[in-house]
Formats: sequence, C-alpha cells, structure tokens
Amino acid sequence: MTGVPQSVVIVGGGLAGYTLADALRRHEFTGRITVIEQEPALYDRPPLTKAAFVSDATLAELEFSTPQQLRAQRVDVMCGRAVVSLDKGVLLDDGTVVRGDAVVLATGGRPRMLPFRGNDAPIVHMLRTFSDAQRIKTAARPGGRILVVGAGLIGAELTSSLRALGVHVTLIDPVEVPLVPAAGESVARRLHEMHGEHGVDVRVGSILEVAERDGEYTALLDDGSYVSVDAVVVGAGIVPNTELAESAGLTVDGGVVVDERHSAGDGFYAIGDVARVLGSDGVLRRREEHWEAAQHDAEELAAVLVGKEPATRSAPWWWSDRYQVHVEGVGRMTGSGVTILRSPHVAFHLDDGLLVGAVSIDDSQTVRAARRIIDARIPVDAADLADPSVSLRDLLRSSRALAGS
Amino acid sequence: MATRIQVAQVGDVPDGEAIVVSKAVTGTVDDIALFHDAGEYFALDNTCSHELASLADGWIERGVVECPVHTGRFCLRDGKVLSAPATENVAAHVVEVEGDSILIVPNVERLALS
Repeated sequence: MTGVPQSVVIVGGGLAGYTLADALRRHEFTGRITVIEQEPALYDRPPLTKAAFVSDATLAELEFSTPQQLRAQRVDVMCGRAVVSLDKGVLLDDGTVVRGDAVVLATGGRPRMLPFRGNDAPIVHMLRTFSDAQRIKTAARPGGRILVVGAGLIGAELTSSLRALGVHVTLIDPVEVPLVPAAGESVARRLHEMHGEHGVDVRVGSILEVAERDGEYTALLDDGSYVSVDAVVVGAGIVPNTELAESAGLTVDGGVVVDERHSAGDGFYAIGDVARVLGSDGVLRRREEHWEAAQHDAEELAAVLVGKEPATRSAPWWWSDRYQVHVEGVGRMTGSGVTILRSPHVAFHLDDGLLVGAVSIDDSQTVRAARRIIDARIPVDAADLADPSVSLRDLLRSSRALAGS
Repeated sequence: MATRIQVAQVGDVPDGEAIVVSKAVTGTVDDIALFHDAGEYFALDNTCSHELASLADGWIERGVVECPVHTGRFCLRDGKVLSAPATENVAAHVVEVEGDSILIVPNVERLALS
C-alpha cells in the first residue's frame, strides 16, 4: 500500500485500538475508521483491579469516550462483535464484511490459565475484562476467603483491593520477591512486604489443585498445605490473541511480528499487547505489555498511516496503585549497570554514566524527571542520584539550560 | 461580576512548580492549582478529572500539566484534556498579574453555592 489509506479497520477497541482512532482524527485523517470490539464498550482496563473494583464503577465510567463523542469524531464502533476471518475483508461473526485499505490488529491478550487440577471449577477466575471483575467482586464479600495466584501487577493490585473490602486473602507466587525485573530488588521487596503488613497471608509456591467437597472448596498448595477458599483468582500474565493473524498467514512468533513502523505486511498492522517488534537490527524484541506502550504504538501508527514521522519513543513507563501508594517506573532496573538506592522508596539504574531506569513509591516527580533525563541521555553522577536532597528535576533543568545557552 | 482574589506574590511559585489555593480562599467547589510555566501563570481546578490526584503535584512543561498519578495530560491554558486515561476537561480560571501580585478570578461555573 502506498499513500494514505482511505479507510482503516481496527480489530480491537482496547487502549491501542481506541487511541489509534482518536489519533487518526487528531491528525485530520478524513477516511473511514471502523473499530470492532468483542466487549460491550471501548474501555480502560487498569482500574478493574484498583479503584473501579473497590467502588463498583460502572462500565460507562471506564469508557475512553462517550458514544456521542465517537459519533462526532466519525468513528464507527461495532461492539459485541467478533472477527472470525481476515481472508476477504474483515469478516464478523454475524456475517458482516468490513473492508479497509489498512487493517490494524489490536486484539490484545487473554489471561494465561495455570495447569492445576480443578482449574475449570466455577470459583476459579482470571481478570481481564469488566465482567471478569464483576464475577470476582461477587465473591469478594467481607470475611470471604480468596486465594490470589500470582503476585505481579494484577495479583498484587487485586489483593490490595480485596483487603480494602475486608476479604481474607492468601497470595501465592513461586518467586519470593516478584517484580524485581521492573522495580529492582529493593523497591520490589518493599512493595511485596506491604501485603503482609496489610494482613495478607503471603506464600511462596504454587497451586496444585482446587477441589470441591459438599459445596466447599479447598486449594492444595505445593507445600502440602490446604487453604479453604470461596474463590481463586489467577494472575499469571497473558497470552497474545494471535489466532486471526495466524489464519491470515501473517508472521507470528510469541506475538504478531511487525516492523518498527508496526506493519505486519500486506496492509496489515499490529499494535499493543498482541504486537511484537522485529527491529531493523534483526532482533525480535519482547512484547511490551504495559498500558502506555499500547498508547504509544497507536500514536506512532497513526502518524505512519497519515504519512508523518512518528515522535521518538520515550523510555517505557509503567505504574501500579496499591495500599494507598502510587508506584511507577521507567526504563530498566536490571541488566548491565548498577542500581543506586536513593531511599527505601526510590531507586535508579545507572549504566556507564547514563541513567537507564528509575522506580519510586509515591515520588512520581522523580520518575518523570528521570524519564526525561533518560530520553535526552543526560549524563548523571551516581552521588547525585543517591542524595535525596538533589532534585532530579533541578538536574534536568540545569542541563537543559546549559544545552540552550 | 466575579471577584479577583490575591493568592500569591510573584516569586512565590518557582518556574515549573505549582501551589494549591484552598477552596476556602477561592470560594470554589474544588481547590485551585496555580501553575508557573516559563514565566506565565495558569490556574486549573486542582483535582484530576480521572481519579483522585492533585494536579499541583504534576509535571509542568510547555503549557501542559501531566497528572502525577496516571499521566493524564491537561492544557494549562484552558484545562482541556489532551490524553488518556483522563477523558474530561478540568475547569480553568483566569489569572492576572498586577505588579507583584498574582490574582485569580474564579470561573463562575465553579463557584460554591453559599
């Protein structure tokens, strides 16, 4: 395909799909935009483990945009519809065929189930959609007992929300301190300790079985212990939804393989959780599963589709909210270089005089400054990073002032 | 006519920072964040329209404040939402600088009913 497409069909209306539609209109793309989404609305998922879970938010409160706004933007949204084939246009499960010069796969992922006995019991849940959250909420009565399997972002945030609702939670993960690759050892440890401080029964290990006897459910753990449960929630990562791409003959390798401009070939593109970039250096990168990465993919593809040069990608950023604290991180906290601890709540990763990562608990300003320092490749001193009295924002500003002078 | 309220002196708010002016002072339904961005002052409702967060603690740069929690971005001049996860604008208030005084004219639509 050469030139700007006349019509764009977006398969999947999560953050990546919605942002693409919105960004195309911001770029004054005038062609037809169709978003096809299996869920009943285009909505934001991160609140499902956090505020929205605790407060019983409605689906409408999580929508990226109102149906009226989408109509005003001339974005055709088809919710509650699945795509069954991409062979001759985009074929929906009701027989409708939607055609587009560009077809964008923003199909995301589905939660990964773990292979324990009884994982198909009705009390075993995973959390990805609004209705998943509602089902878990039904079991989240004060005094109820829920086993959360996996203490990554989803499991940890849900555990915090369950505690806020007065649920007794057992949290199990095979790793003694989860999130080390993202948050670094020290901050990850501090975060994981919070579970115990909030009355969570924290275990290291895995689940072997869920069994029912006389309407009562029990989970068997790999240390031989039994936990009585009203529900089990598995938060063990996602599996990318690549089936459509595979059936269309696109290259799939742990995700839909795309180039650095998000093209999968033949007028197909992929963005967000489902996409995996094959760099121009020939290296197949890891899929980025964070919220903002999906947003950035969409912004970049919108620019590509209208023939503009995308903005330079910023260092990857993520966040987590739990137990009334806000955690965020940017870049990498592992790999070559050294970790520098500023406080129990703030850490950096420094590689050869360049900042490559930062993480904080309740100090987002430091991470926002760090991000700009990382992106601009501003050299920093380990001593300055370690000193809480040295503001990273001041370092950034003085460096910018020097560069501008 | 809306009243003008003196809320700070020039120099009280360093460049790239913001202060919170209590709604008890402004008579508004929300506290007001007074921002200083490269020599200009702006005032918005302080509470992010997404989830509970104080925009005065956000990152202030090139006419935009980025929420300190989930990075929703708002135009300092008119409070217009610029990026998800926020979906709604925040109210803007008029700021006037007279001599060394910084004054806010609260947005009449955001006045608390007395």
